[in-house]
Amino acid sequence: MLKILIRKQMMEIFRAYFYNAKKNTGRTKVSTVLMFLGYGAVMLFLAAGLFGVMSVNLVAMARAGYAWFYFALIGLVAVLLGCFGAVFTTYSGLYLAKDNDLLLSMPISVHAIMASRLVSVYLMGLLYSAVGSLPAVVVYFIYMPFSVLALLCAILWAILISLIVLFLSCLLGYGVARLSLKLKRKSLATTVLALVGIGLYYFVYFKAIDLVQDIVENVVLYGEKIKGSAYGVYLFGQAAVEWKALAIVYAVVLALCAATWFLVQRSFLKVATSTGATVRTKYTERTARVRSASAALLRRELGRFTSSSNYMLNCGLGILLMVLAGVMLLLKGQALAAVLTAVFAEQPGVVAVLACAVACMAVASNDMAAPSVALEGKNLWIAKSLPVSGWQVLRAKLTMQLVLTVVPTLFLCVCLAVTLPLTAPELALLFLLPLIFMVFSACLGSVLGLQNPNLHWTNEVYPIKQGLAVTVSLLGGWAYSAALAGIYLWIGRKLGSVIYLGIFSAATLIAAALLYLWLRKRGPAVFEAL
Amino acid sequence: MLYIEHLTKKFGDKVAVDDLSLHIAAGEVYGFIGHNGAGKTTTLRSVVGIQQFDAGSVRIDGIPLAENPIECKRRIAYIPDNPDLYEFMTGIKYLNFVADVFGVGADARQERIRRYAALFELTDDLGQPISTYSHGMKQKLAVISAWLHQPRLILMDEPFVGLDPKASHILKEMMREFCDGGGAIFFSTHVLEVAEKLCDKVAIIRRGRLIRSGTMEEVKGDDSLEEVFLELEDED
Repeated sequence: MLKILIRKQMMEIFRAYFYNAKKNTGRTKVSTVLMFLGYGAVMLFLAAGLFGVMSVNLVAMARAGYAWFYFALIGLVAVLLGCFGAVFTTYSGLYLAKDNDLLLSMPISVHAIMASRLVSVYLMGLLYSAVGSLPAVVVYFIYMPFSVLALLCAILWAILISLIVLFLSCLLGYGVARLSLKLKRKSLATTVLALVGIGLYYFVYFKAIDLVQDIVENVVLYGEKIKGSAYGVYLFGQAAVEWKALAIVYAVVLALCAATWFLVQRSFLKVATSTGATVRTKYTERTARVRSASAALLRRELGRFTSSSNYMLNCGLGILLMVLAGVMLLLKGQALAAVLTAVFAEQPGVVAVLACAVACMAVASNDMAAPSVALEGKNLWIAKSLPVSGWQVLRAKLTMQLVLTVVPTLFLCVCLAVTLPLTAPELALLFLLPLIFMVFSACLGSVLGLQNPNLHWTNEVYPIKQGLAVTVSLLGGWAYSAALAGIYLWIGRKLGSVIYLGIFSAATLIAAALLYLWLRKRGPAVFEAL
Repeated sequence: MLYIEHLTKKFGDKVAVDDLSLHIAAGEVYGFIGHNGAGKTTTLRSVVGIQQFDAGSVRIDGIPLAENPIECKRRIAYIPDNPDLYEFMTGIKYLNFVADVFGVGADARQERIRRYAALFELTDDLGQPISTYSHGMKQKLAVISAWLHQPRLILMDEPFVGLDPKASHILKEMMREFCDGGGAIFFSTHVLEVAEKLCDKVAIIRRGRLIRSGTMEEVKGDDSLEEVFLELEDED
């Protein structure tokens, strides 16, 4: 039974890889393999790019004889990353799946349902934690002596991390579920809670950068202190290089996993079938404000966005990032400006390009248009049966992203403009390029979201978090920002920042116009054929 | 009011609706019956414009659906077999959304919402999120939203499923009143007694093909609709 449930779960998660919703047929093997390779390449890029560099910076600790410290540090980061990525997936995947009622009505044990759901949670945690732990293992063996047994030990340590992520995610997901049963404004409360968590995460992250630097410079001092006072952390790191430590930590983690399973399974049925507290509002009649059809459609999109904490947190994080970055710039911008001016004194224009790249990267973190078609799900019949054109529906989705992104983008650009020493043409481009990119990003998300949307999800997390459109839109936007800065540092400097940013703006504008035209001309037909 | 001519819809190699033609005039309550998978829902979805079809034509109030789908949709209302409504909205927000899209004025919508919500005893719950509604409450809301913009033609797929006896009775009265006022209704049902009592005309579909249609008397003669239906189903 468990095998059948896991297969169903996997079919749902990887549906887009095997099934072409546009053509209503299964994909060819080549197409499926190419899609998996593409996704793998993206994850590899992330792993190698971000955590590979981090591991290279930290491997000096291992070379100084403190391999455990190296693995402990990266392991903790990987655990944090894994939990950060999986906690809300755990809550919604475990307790809010739409087919919970169906499965519970069948002769299937609750344990089997829970276990199949946890496989998804585990895979998600494994994916996120492996992005941090695997580069650490690879980098370690580049600089340190290699043996098959040592490699096996390190790989088992990486798996151990995914198990730690699993039980922590389950505990946190369980906590969120218990809390949500008591809360009346669930979406708002979950979002606020998550934002506090994200705030803490970034606070720790920024503090950690200084701390890690300090640790690397004083590895012996800190190493001995931690070994003496926090033996668990030592064991956790040592588990990557010593079998005995690995066995001890595995035993502890497996015991914790079993305890978590016991805790979650005791209340699963109650939480999964409970509707929780709701605010009972008796309707009082009042004259409604009459809106145009387009305004009603836009309001519908905004309503869907603000009603789902998953949607807001995963696709609207850019709003928060831009506001926070702007405030940080206003508070500490002068120091940053001084550092940037000193570092790039010989390279005029870099600061302007970097500012544009940062703004574009923050803009790219807003991708609410990408999953919006898929989120129509079973409600698609409403939009299609109403007297509105496909274009009106798509325009509302596009507009929603623009409306939600434009003010934070302008705020960030104003903060960057106030803080950084830029010339007048650079200032103009600092506003122009991110705004053009904002339109491009919204059009790209809409176009991607219209291609093969998963309309048959049983949990909104699938289109929001794991949809191909969202992944490509988000990572594509980040790649654009990286390319904007990278190409300038590589060859773009010869043109000067103003011409370079002007060319990028023009190219982005043309790309945005092409995407917009496609949406306008072909989009409605594609939407109506869904 | 509704002209369906040679409608054909295929799903891959399977012909779901095969060369179906039907004419529904103003004032008619037209029943559409057939076994599961016969093609009733596919026909209704094609007429509403939710689903594209492979051949044939549909005209609503003389307007070709293929050429002017939006004008056609302005004249119709559709209630699907499963009332999947926007669960993130409250009942009243959903009704206002539909009213906005159809351009119903503030006074008219207020009067109609008040009237139909009271009829279905849904007034107190209109401020609640749809996610908290039972299946029957969602069905009632779908019915209210269909009547809200005073369409010319209403298409319904199994409209009585999930409704309590009182609500079913009210809906039947509303259907009769609507058609007596010059509207037309085309609805599918498995409840043959309801079709027999309520419909002016009836069409029977089997494996995508229309096998009999006409006034209730023409279709069933002196037999019951159930007897005729079962007899036709057994024929090969």
